[in-house]
Amino acid sequence: MTLIFENVGKRFGALTAIDGVSMRFEPGLIYSIIGPNGAGKSTLINMAAGSYSLSSGRIALDGRTISGLPKHAIARAGLARTYQNIRLFDEMTTLENLEVALFAEEFRHIIGELFWPRRSRTLKAARRARCLDVLRRFDLDAFADVPARSLAYGHQKQLEIARALVARPRALLLDEPAAGLNHAETEILRARLEALKRADLVMIVVEHDMNLVMSLSDRIHVMHQGCLLFAGTPSEVQGNRAVQEAYLGTPGEHDVIQAAAEARTRRVRIRAHADIARHRSRPASR
Amino acid sequence: MAALAGRVRATAILIVAAAAIVWGASLLPNYELRVLDSVLLYVLLAMGLNIVVGYCGLLDLGFIAFYAVGAYSYALLASPHTELHWPFGAVLVVAALLGLGAGVLLGIPVLRLRGDYLAIVTLGFGEIIRVVINNADALTNGPKGISRIYRATLFGWTIATPLDFFYLLLGVCAICFMIVWRLERSILGKAWAAVREDQDAARGVGVDTTFVKLCAFGLSAMIGSVAGVIFAAFQRFVSPESFVFQESLLVVLVVVVGGLGNLLGVIVGATVLIVLPELLREYAQYRMLIYGLMLVGIVLVRPRGLVPKRFDPAWLMVRLGWR
Amino acid sequence: MTAFLLQQLVNALAIGAIYALIALGYTMVYGVLQLINFAHGEMFMLGAYAAFFILAWTIGPVSGGIGVIGVTLLFFATFAVIGVAGMATERVAYRPLRDASRLAPMLSALGVSILLQNAIQLLVGPQPIKFPDIIVRQQFEIAGAVISNKHGLIIAAALALMGALYWFVRRTRFGVHIRAVSESHQTARLLGIDVDRTVAIVFLIGPGLGAIAGVLWSSYYGIMQFSMGVSIGLKAFTAAILGGIGSIPGAMLGGLLLGLLETLGAGFLPFLTGGYLGSEYRDIFAFGVLVLVLLFRPAGLMGEPVTEESIVYKKDF
Repeated sequence: MTLIFENVGKRFGALTAIDGVSMRFEPGLIYSIIGPNGAGKSTLINMAAGSYSLSSGRIALDGRTISGLPKHAIARAGLARTYQNIRLFDEMTTLENLEVALFAEEFRHIIGELFWPRRSRTLKAARRARCLDVLRRFDLDAFADVPARSLAYGHQKQLEIARALVARPRALLLDEPAAGLNHAETEILRARLEALKRADLVMIVVEHDMNLVMSLSDRIHVMHQGCLLFAGTPSEVQGNRAVQEAYLGTPGEHDVIQAAAEARTRRVRIRAHADIARHRSRPASR
Repeated sequence: MAALAGRVRATAILIVAAAAIVWGASLLPNYELRVLDSVLLYVLLAMGLNIVVGYCGLLDLGFIAFYAVGAYSYALLASPHTELHWPFGAVLVVAALLGLGAGVLLGIPVLRLRGDYLAIVTLGFGEIIRVVINNADALTNGPKGISRIYRATLFGWTIATPLDFFYLLLGVCAICFMIVWRLERSILGKAWAAVREDQDAARGVGVDTTFVKLCAFGLSAMIGSVAGVIFAAFQRFVSPESFVFQESLLVVLVVVVGGLGNLLGVIVGATVLIVLPELLREYAQYRMLIYGLMLVGIVLVRPRGLVPKRFDPAWLMVRLGWR
Repeated sequence: MTAFLLQQLVNALAIGAIYALIALGYTMVYGVLQLINFAHGEMFMLGAYAAFFILAWTIGPVSGGIGVIGVTLLFFATFAVIGVAGMATERVAYRPLRDASRLAPMLSALGVSILLQNAIQLLVGPQPIKFPDIIVRQQFEIAGAVISNKHGLIIAAALALMGALYWFVRRTRFGVHIRAVSESHQTARLLGIDVDRTVAIVFLIGPGLGAIAGVLWSSYYGIMQFSMGVSIGLKAFTAAILGGIGSIPGAMLGGLLLGLLETLGAGFLPFLTGGYLGSEYRDIFAFGVLVLVLLFRPAGLMGEPVTEESIVYKKDF
């Protein structure tokens, strides 16, 4: 169940987003990846899930290399993810959103499902029950037959996680699951994620909400400008000087904001330089 | 117990309705029957195209090419032109397989394209098929077409009159309807809907979108091809002129006007778009203009089509008493 | 041989210039709306018809050409009329669908295309109509090739227009707006740019250029017909894709390149295939190029390849 990033690198043109990062994620624990904007957190998830190709290195799940595989193959290998901006199937019902994730498993029964009415009923009932089970754990079963777009934002965020879980993944990667949630909702999220911990599931959360991160995580990886700055337990991270300087700063808000702002400016500058460099070699552009 | 009573009731209503249609048709004069035959042919075509456009959200503007595959299959396998006389049933099977193959072959290169490019490329392929048929004189007799195609016989029943064809088409449509309806409700149907909604997110949950789209293309082509065989047997004459872009457009219109992704809507759409021009025959020259207006109008005013999505066969059955 | 090649080259440049002018319309609209305006070929056709009627209603029967000033005025008038028509189309058939499903604008464009073709067919008649001689044909022989002043008019007009467009897009405020809106509607709006108005301007210029291409084409071939937009439209679209859809220099390059490929290709096709494929396959030639480009290099020559980032953060189509 182990998810391994082996010397992984990602370049977008002249900009190095990830620079030789190696990480190891064991099942049964909740890992958080934190860092200022532009540090490369979402990029890591995107690379693991197959949205981005790797410029260098390798990603492996359970010893099997998944980097380079098409997205759906990676998902079938057991890596599930959620998105920073919710990407549900809006017009489909809550339940149907989960059913789609079962396609890979269930398609082999398609002939039976089409031509044998009894078999079809059994299959569909089993599918529905399985999905309802997962929805129940997120208190969404009441909304099972309602279009996903009509759910409240908080419920939609939960639905995305439910959808990621229904196919019994081996690795669950959550991209800012607490974004936009209020205090109460974040607390519920924390409790639910705690309850999800299993001996055969790797859990990785990319987050900005420090309270959630500190209370939820067993291990924290701190990213900074595309590199792994530090990895350790929450208390180790909080006590680490380099991390403090780069990101957390002193307890005062000001430093955190300043650090984040500096990182952003650096990234913008890097991008701008990259753009100029690119345009210099191509004079005729629009 | 109430559920069983409800189902018996719904089934009974359907059987009575079917019997009424079958009996009523036998009373109609030939002209009306021909119109109804036309309607049913377009219902069949539209059920096929609906899989790609309605369920999957892909705009195929060259659907008529599969219709041509089926039609020319029968023309080449059962006419004096090639001096072959294959039985109708066999051709149906062959054409279905050819259609499936053609759909998959077309799909493989084309399905990775963006939606609007897909539309243009499929439009182009439809035209290419027509031009090739037009120019491959040796095989297809070019613009002169293939005539005196042999009558269709199925298990001893010679299908000759418009009434015969009505029954044939009714049966084929009914079978196709049931299969497509079950497809829509199956896990494959859910995958199609997911592809329509957000392809990338679908991939993220393990759906092989290329495979799913190929299924849609292949199945729709198969249905189009079967419709083509019946068409050729019906007209007993095929020529490239029957497979121009306007025909592809008409099928698209039936699907859009009826209601994208709605099987009941397809029936309504075909009826409207075939019967109306017949009723307004003196305005025949305005037909294409009206089609253009309808397309823009429907998309602007009622993009879901005439029949809203919730009025699907499941809704109908519930209304008839099914529980 | 040189004469033949030179002749083909001149022909290629002329047809390429026309493709380029139309392709610019496709590319600019695609740039701001990510929509392929199926009805753009009809703007080309309407340009010819509009010019015909403008001439008929102002000057009457034309013989002996209308002089340089006349031609320029005609161009301006046609540009204006069809530009307005383009803006109206966008306002009525595309703008309400800005936030609708991806299928809707395509279907609407298709509908508009059919509408326009059939409207003209009904109003003016399906038969081809002779287009007046706006300049009297004069031929020159250079190195054995026959070049007419009509060639010259097309190439000169196209160059002038493309130059003007380049200046407009690079040096004026509206040009900046267009480029900004092409990048991102949201960001442009945040910067205070009126996106609707910018799109309207694009629909003034694009169809306008297509219309002038229509006038040039009809004046060269002396004929116009309601269906002339269909195949030329497809070819110009191919040119836009070839050059890289969304890129203005790309459209210009693509147009010229396609003109070359098509003229030389169709010219040599009978040789290459031993007479099996004749020049009736010329029309499919462009389509073949289109399919090849879309399959192997969808970004075209000057387009930016679809980046992974854009796939992740926007819904895939």
